[in-house]
Amino acid sequence: MTDASLPEPRHARSLKEVDARTNQRNRAETRFRAYGIAAVATGLVFLLVLLGAILFNGVGAFQQTFINVPVYLDPAKLDKNGERNIEDIKKVSTFGYNPLIEQALLDAVQESGAKTELDSAADMKKLLSASAAAQIRDTVIANPELIGQTVDFRLLAASRVDGYLKGRVQREDVTRDKNIDVTHLDLTDELHDAGIITKGFNMAFITGADASESRPEQAGLGVSMLGSFFMMLVVLGLSLPIGVAASIYLEEFAPQNRFTDLIEVNISNLAAVPSIVFGILGLAAFIQFAHLPQSAPLVGGLTLTLMTLPTIVISTRASLKSVPPSIRDAALGVGASKMQAVFHHVLPMAMPGILTGTIIGLAQALGETAPLLLIGMVGYIATNPPEGLASGFLDPNSAMPAQIFEWAKRADPAYYERAWGGIIILLVFLMTMNIIAIILRRRFERRW
Amino acid sequence: MYDAPTLERDVTQATTKFSARNVQVWYGDTHAIKDVDVDIEDKTVTAFIGPSGCGKSTFLRCLNRMNDTIDVCRVEGDIRLDGEDIYDKKVDPVQLRAKVGMVFQKPNPFPKSIYDNIAYGPRIHGLARSKAELDEIVENALRRGAIWDEVKDRLDAPGTGLSGGQQQRLCIARAVATQPEVLLMDEPCSALDPIATAQVEELIDELRANFSVIIVTHSMQQAARVSQKTAFFHLGELVEFGETGHIFTNPEDERTESYITGRIG
Repeated sequence: MTDASLPEPRHARSLKEVDARTNQRNRAETRFRAYGIAAVATGLVFLLVLLGAILFNGVGAFQQTFINVPVYLDPAKLDKNGERNIEDIKKVSTFGYNPLIEQALLDAVQESGAKTELDSAADMKKLLSASAAAQIRDTVIANPELIGQTVDFRLLAASRVDGYLKGRVQREDVTRDKNIDVTHLDLTDELHDAGIITKGFNMAFITGADASESRPEQAGLGVSMLGSFFMMLVVLGLSLPIGVAASIYLEEFAPQNRFTDLIEVNISNLAAVPSIVFGILGLAAFIQFAHLPQSAPLVGGLTLTLMTLPTIVISTRASLKSVPPSIRDAALGVGASKMQAVFHHVLPMAMPGILTGTIIGLAQALGETAPLLLIGMVGYIATNPPEGLASGFLDPNSAMPAQIFEWAKRADPAYYERAWGGIIILLVFLMTMNIIAIILRRRFERRW
Repeated sequence: MYDAPTLERDVTQATTKFSARNVQVWYGDTHAIKDVDVDIEDKTVTAFIGPSGCGKSTFLRCLNRMNDTIDVCRVEGDIRLDGEDIYDKKVDPVQLRAKVGMVFQKPNPFPKSIYDNIAYGPRIHGLARSKAELDEIVENALRRGAIWDEVKDRLDAPGTGLSGGQQQRLCIARAVATQPEVLLMDEPCSALDPIATAQVEELIDELRANFSVIIVTHSMQQAARVSQKTAFFHLGELVEFGETGHIFTNPEDERTESYITGRIG
């Protein structure tokens, strides 16, 4: 092709001899592989330590200590008129029930033949959760015909008793603990052997509401789970249509000019804004300006929508971009309008990417705590489960991560265990969402 | 151009389908098409040849306003289809593209079934009133595309699962299904092997009976095989336009001669 003569070949030696330069390059490659393996291994170790720590610390929250005791529902105390009038029965507060329970427990202790110095009904109080009376009262109000009978109850044990059986509370720790004494712990051992105190699965932790500082044994994540659920409804309902519509417009229809460039840069930057900034924005816009109710999942959802939108817009635009232009040409070539080309061909092909981005955005929102601090969804919000949609959106509630944060803040170590348990539940949710994202991506993916 | 000696010229006086005058195209500051005048006849295959980047595809895309989708692209001059200015403000490019179908360089079937690929155009244009009618349109289009026998038993299979040559014939069938008057083909065989190319070329020759076909090609042999008229583009200019036989045997311009003899391009 050319007249220029080729230079003499540089490698005159045999191919079987490896020269210094090749050696050096091979060594560099081996080193790089080693770095890579080390990096992956480090990551795996961290992950294992993290998961191990979470499981080790959190599994306890799913177990709870109960006291099984038959309680005589004394009509003389619970319904003095004897008319079984529900209004009269409601007038008896939990204080009226306490002596009954304590007496019942004392009877059970004495009957079981446990050796203990404790012999008064009042001594039994420290074994029982403060919520035990409420537990019985709720049952009685729901079934007034039980009054006068002896009913078997499975009452919550006090958190110290629970902690003692789980190994969290040690004998040497309780010497200065006014909530429990060593004699109670001895009795606990005896009753545990006698089958009066048992450990069981803690359903209330998954379904219940938060409880006050002094009764961690009663606290559950259920109501804040509903709070998270309603927030996610708001986030999904707003950010998916807004985000997808905005991305389609920007990607397919908007002209390329300074203004759209500016919008694009801003969206990318918004994705990197710390979430607490969205929190204070939500506080200013939705609560102080629009006067929406504080601590409501609606406001939380709106705030998280602001936070999720950039993520959804960015991932949607990326997946729209990844649809080959030849498909748009094909549609336009047979006389489809721009919108038909986008909605009939481009959007279905971008769907897996859009759904993945949305679910990841939602998962991010589900785990977000900081913005909730500012709109009042963190704190002691012990509410009953919402009754219906309106109260779900508008009544004060917490969210899963906020509840976990709140528990981790409290002094009682029993709450520490609950916080780890809450994290297990949260992770299960996040993992489920990610698995859904993977399944959707697989299902919608089209072969070319 | 009618002063040129006529070699193998069709004796029937064909009507002009497209007529372009003074067409200029700019991509931003780049002057991509300079002063192109051309008349394209109905029921004829016209080939656009020229070296890469000479503007032949750009000019082709002006004819169904596909360049509208490119923001920086600006078209000036006068392009008329059956005497109507296609760049008139009142012309909806969507309607124009239904009349002027296009087949692209790379086969680009929709990721849908073979049936849906063909039925898409007729559906959005409302060409079929019933399922039976649509079935008929699909069958006719696939027969026109010379692919019916190969796919008639698997109309529900994805169009993307066909071989490259079959995909391209599917795309041609898809373009035919909307009943256009002109078919634009942008290097339709560049991604195909010789056998598939031969099939597509044969098909193009058959399509000439009903459509005006304009084909952009890199292969001079292909232009010589399939076209009746040839236009040679060079650096954005239309250098020479005339009967294919004439261009290939007796070019008037030096540049045309250099190109077809392989000295440039």
